[in-house]
Amino acid sequence: MKNDRGTLMSLSEELLAYGKSKGATQMEISISDGSEFSVDVREGEIERLVEAGQKRLALRVFVEGKVARASSSDLSSETLRKLVDNAIERAKFATADQYAGLPEKGIIMAKHDELKIFDPGILEMPPEKKIAAAKETETICLKDKRIKKSYGASFGTFAGELILVNSNGFSGSYQRTSCSCSVGVQTGEGENLFDEGWSDSSPNLDKLMRPEEIATIAIHRATRLIGGRKVQTQNVPVVFEPPMTGSLLSFLYTCVSGSNIYLKQSFLTGKLGERVGSDLVTVIDDGLMPGGPGTRPFDGEGVATRKSTVIESGVLKSYLLDTYAGRKLNMKSTGNASGANNFYLAPGKHSPADIIKSVSKGLLLTDTIGFGLVPTTGDISRGAVGMWIEKGELAYPVAEITISGNLSQILTGVEMIGNDLDFRQSISGPTIKVKEMTIGGK
Amino acid sequence: MSGVNRRDFLRRSSAGLALGVTSGFWSDLLYSGQLPVASPALFEERFGISREDMRKILGIALSKGGDFSELFFEYKVSNSVRMEEDIIKESSQNILLGVGIRVLKGDQTGYGYTSDLTFDRMKQTALTAGAIAAGGSGSIAVNGLTDRQLMQHVYDMSSPFTDVKLNAKIDLVKEAYTAAQSYDKRITKVQAFLADEIQYVTIANSEGVMVSDVRPLAAMFVSTTAEEKGVRNTGFKSSGGRVGMKHFQNVETPKQVGRKSAEEAITLLSAVDPPAGEQPVVLSSLNSGVMIHEAVGHPLEADGNRKKTSIMWDKLGKQVANPIVTIYDDPTIPHYRGSINIDDEGTETRKTILIEKGKLVGFLQDRLSAKVMGMELNGHGRRQSYQNNPVPRMTNTVLAEGDALADDIIKSVKKGFYAVTYQGGQVSDAGKFTFSVNMGYMIEDGKLTRPVKNATLIGTNVQILNEVEMIGNDTGFFLGTCGKDGQSAPVTAGTPTLKISKMTVGGRG
Repeated sequence: MKNDRGTLMSLSEELLAYGKSKGATQMEISISDGSEFSVDVREGEIERLVEAGQKRLALRVFVEGKVARASSSDLSSETLRKLVDNAIERAKFATADQYAGLPEKGIIMAKHDELKIFDPGILEMPPEKKIAAAKETETICLKDKRIKKSYGASFGTFAGELILVNSNGFSGSYQRTSCSCSVGVQTGEGENLFDEGWSDSSPNLDKLMRPEEIATIAIHRATRLIGGRKVQTQNVPVVFEPPMTGSLLSFLYTCVSGSNIYLKQSFLTGKLGERVGSDLVTVIDDGLMPGGPGTRPFDGEGVATRKSTVIESGVLKSYLLDTYAGRKLNMKSTGNASGANNFYLAPGKHSPADIIKSVSKGLLLTDTIGFGLVPTTGDISRGAVGMWIEKGELAYPVAEITISGNLSQILTGVEMIGNDLDFRQSISGPTIKVKEMTIGGK
Repeated sequence: MSGVNRRDFLRRSSAGLALGVTSGFWSDLLYSGQLPVASPALFEERFGISREDMRKILGIALSKGGDFSELFFEYKVSNSVRMEEDIIKESSQNILLGVGIRVLKGDQTGYGYTSDLTFDRMKQTALTAGAIAAGGSGSIAVNGLTDRQLMQHVYDMSSPFTDVKLNAKIDLVKEAYTAAQSYDKRITKVQAFLADEIQYVTIANSEGVMVSDVRPLAAMFVSTTAEEKGVRNTGFKSSGGRVGMKHFQNVETPKQVGRKSAEEAITLLSAVDPPAGEQPVVLSSLNSGVMIHEAVGHPLEADGNRKKTSIMWDKLGKQVANPIVTIYDDPTIPHYRGSINIDDEGTETRKTILIEKGKLVGFLQDRLSAKVMGMELNGHGRRQSYQNNPVPRMTNTVLAEGDALADDIIKSVKKGFYAVTYQGGQVSDAGKFTFSVNMGYMIEDGKLTRPVKNATLIGTNVQILNEVEMIGNDTGFFLGTCGKDGQSAPVTAGTPTLKISKMTVGGRG
């Protein structure tokens, strides 16, 4: 990978010069160069092994405020020059947009070695060990008699480099690695089957959950659903397990991201400075968290990432913006051109057990399926499974129900927040308790 | 989060619809002035890969003892134009070039891919893919490759977007945008998007087959937001297929696409939340194919049945649905978004009946599953790109029509829910599905009354197949992008109006 950096850097510089000579007033080039390995095992045997390397170049040209994009996995100079010619030609057909353009000059980046997103140990890990980890994860699951079938277990690694240069003088690159391990299982009898599983990933090998941890979680998540049944349609308090809080936060991210704000496609448009949640709710995006799954020194436009407080004690403090959205809204980019960095709900003081104990009748939400999320209104309506809570205890599993509510009402209705924030995804959250949502069942 | 593979179907995503080439680019880089023709010569002439090289690579891939090797060459040019906030915001052009090399050993798969089409790099990739068979030794000789001609042509190549200039595409986008915007004064936002692509594939395998295909794809997508008294709602509409410019002149005009999108947004302004709970549900023919896709199609893909994780694996030959139900998947419907001449393993595609009069009669097969299950190929091995190994997938999935009139179906319901448009749906292998309804209506005393928004329909595969009570005579198709194992694929799904005797409707009513 290192051998190629110089070549790719000079390819980018060359193309930049070519674009300018052909009439681009501004131009940006990014190249990703990565290699992946993954192994899937099922019932103890290797089912699939994938190993590959891939380079891709993407570019944006601006001709007097008119924009065109292009990308290619064919890095031959003939193709790339043609791609630039075409992009400049196409840009002329776009409408001039005063907000379009590269970020301003003078960006200070964080030091990469402090970010802990590149682990040489991942590059050195022999394939046999990766295969063994996947096999071990599955084997532990299958030892449990309640697990009827395996979807298999997988172990994957990725190592890559990202290079970004632009005609404003920005030139940066960083390397990152990631490793992941997952397993999927099926439980239940006859036609009453349940799919579950667990997966973990990290930029660093020593932070990845061990096979036994992943298997234990997968077994627990699957077996507790056995015998799941419908409940009556009713309004009850809902406790979100951390992955479900994460899913809620993904929707919140959509609703605070710049393009949905300037297009007025989010219910949070125009709400800056207003109370949007209970005072327990503080939401942060932090691109500089060492070892974080979404940590990066700069975003897809070369803007340095940072820590942004999105919601502070219930008050909406900031949207998450790229350069264009920033200019449209008369604000500054927050370094979110690549999407969420590490986006999370700050943890509270309660143990998850105490949160469940506080519910006299309600639902512990463990998984949802479907697409029912509407940023324009904040409305949520999805299929759900979970555990029914009676008098502070987990009583029985529930399945084939729907859960619905509204993100605005959910944020306002957050009554307790857990102390169990564990950064496993770039969007993560602790256990939360929400005052009331509608369960659709019998 | 969970390690389980889910299959989904998304209506509003424009991802995966990208398509289109500026004519200058196309003619310069490829065939000057000629219509795209399926020919292995593309990779031979343009990228200097001779068929002798291909034969050698196939042999190297088997040198460690694999049973079967395959090369999948792909060259794809995708274009898009986007209009929002009253301006043409940007255009894009993306090129995908590379080869995927697959080696099978029993039911094991070795896969490697590269965008570097030099012989040395392909050789290295072949060795990597072949390592799945480590320990064995090469015993299968790969003889000369024989061209196989396409036996069918299911795309509309009469007016390819490769010949359409960017300003003409911009005119289409503007027409759709303006139609949506001028539909009603309560329309506040419109986004219009046109994508076109052309994909060249050449597939060569160790059985000596070499076959190529050129696949056009075009899609227009309009989303419209309406606002009144602080209530905002969004409507969507897409149109397209394996088509060219004529589709947008003769089949469905940009104006119609724009107006339909706006109409949905306006209707939703007066919509209420649905009454939650179990009730009779009528699925409109407009978009409800998504239900067939999720509830029936995915569980009948061969891989889940080979691995016995699908709820249907032991039901072949058995009655699994009401005898009025017949369901098939047809990749050969002319010009449809899901249609393909050959699948991504080079197998000629064919209409495949899955459920006949309620009886399970077939699965959607790819090479690996068909071999392990000892069943015939039917041309359903698809992949997103050269970076992915093929898996069994749907193309155009259809529930065959009956003879009931849609009006009579609605009249038969005293109190229930009528589902019209969807945001998407999702199913697990265990057969549990969820659909997110963007717009529907309440049925009261056999009549459609108030519009409804934000409803979710949930149920199981087995339940829905057995509770189809009436089938209309009015098939409609849903255009979408299907996701499975991290791979997306263009598909359609069709159904007439259906009455389901009871389903769980979720919502806040």
